Amino acid sequence: MEPSEQILAIRRSVALSRLPHVSYQWITGTGAFEALNRVFSRELYVRDGQLVQGLLLDGEGHVYADCVVARDDDDYFLLAEGPDPRGLAEYLSLHARGVDDFEIVDRTATHDLISLDGPYAWELVARLVGQEVVGLPYMTFFHLDGLVCCRSGKTGEYGYVLIVDREHSETTWNSLVELGRGFDAAEASLEALDVCALENWFFNVRREGRARVTPIELQLQWRLSRKKSFVGSEAVRQRLEEGLTRRATTLLSKEPFAVGDQVSLAGRVIGDIVNAAHSPVRGEWVGLALLDLAYAHPGITTLRVGPERTSARTVSPPVLQNRSLYVNPQVHSYASREEDEFPSLVVP
Amino acid sequence: MESDLRSYLERRRRMLERVRNLLVDKLGVQREADEIDPDTPLFATGLALDSIDAVDLLIHLEAELGIEVPSDEEGRSALRTVNSIVDLALEKQEAVDGAE
Repeated sequence: MEPSEQILAIRRSVALSRLPHVSYQWITGTGAFEALNRVFSRELYVRDGQLVQGLLLDGEGHVYADCVVARDDDDYFLLAEGPDPRGLAEYLSLHARGVDDFEIVDRTATHDLISLDGPYAWELVARLVGQEVVGLPYMTFFHLDGLVCCRSGKTGEYGYVLIVDREHSETTWNSLVELGRGFDAAEASLEALDVCALENWFFNVRREGRARVTPIELQLQWRLSRKKSFVGSEAVRQRLEEGLTRRATTLLSKEPFAVGDQVSLAGRVIGDIVNAAHSPVRGEWVGLALLDLAYAHPGITTLRVGPERTSARTVSPPVLQNRSLYVNPQVHSYASREEDEFPSLVVP
Repeated sequence: MESDLRSYLERRRRMLERVRNLLVDKLGVQREADEIDPDTPLFATGLALDSIDAVDLLIHLEAELGIEVPSDEEGRSALRTVNSIVDLALEKQEAVDGAE
């Protein structure tokens, strides 16, 4: 199935994905809080059963990993994108030097992560794990029969990540594929997930995260604490004192453009593209550019991008109206989708 | 920079400042105004506002900025991020200016 069809499944029904690019680590012991608190970019006040989105930075304040931290009883687990599992474990160990009684257990090799994303993902996951999952608040998780079900996702639709031990993951996957036939479920690639993340302004550590800028330029200050020190916080503070000069801004164009393309206004270069993809829902290209601060606002319609001087405009993301905003599990179902009325996916 | 664009960006910056200040002063967002990035989501992630905050936000947008947020999908889209509120505010402002 083409990525465009996978994306449309995420936007209209549900898609299943395997997430081998996500590292899954447990941090246990009485020193677990201290070990994690030294690197996690936000306050680590996490309730049992709660997930918190944050970042891990390097010493220069650049993003090292995009991560979610969860509190599970007295332990924590980490779902991280960016570094490989070994690199992540080394990073955690390095910065936890001197902390007593903690252990990092890499469970990436013993567990698989499966995601379900789409306006009817809740209905499919409920068929597998039970109806109680429907009431699970965003950024929480629960244990059930050997699997962990996290209500998360980076597509702007209902999203779930199932953490399953490897012994049972194939059975779980096959069950979802079988149950998914009734939902026209697709299998979505990382490429398709990345396009959906871009359309909905979810941070992508593999794209804009490699731009060698701090979270300030990436508009990720909500993921930073200014009250505590963590790895990279001093570099971020310094950047703030120097003053922001560029900021990540969303662009749309009817014509293609690519990462690395320059963005110009009235013949003057004002930034460059750090993420770009075709949006099959909109039928145009969507991208993220680091623009000079004076121009890093939506509503500029006279931009030119790349060697072809493609016409582009800045907009406020998300660039679509997610159907999940309008699908109510108490009222709707995939079976009744034809009779239900929903707004167009495309924001004019 | 063309004067039209300069004027638009200036209006946009001023409105962004007002919305940020409203979020801090009226809704009690525990951040400095300059820490609130323009594309920050308002609900679920980002500023993590809840349904009670949503009601407060509607009240204060009308009282402080004179913006009546529609109850349809346009309104729902307008309350997704700080910038989407600014979009709506500028649109309303232009409509008023155009009518005068």
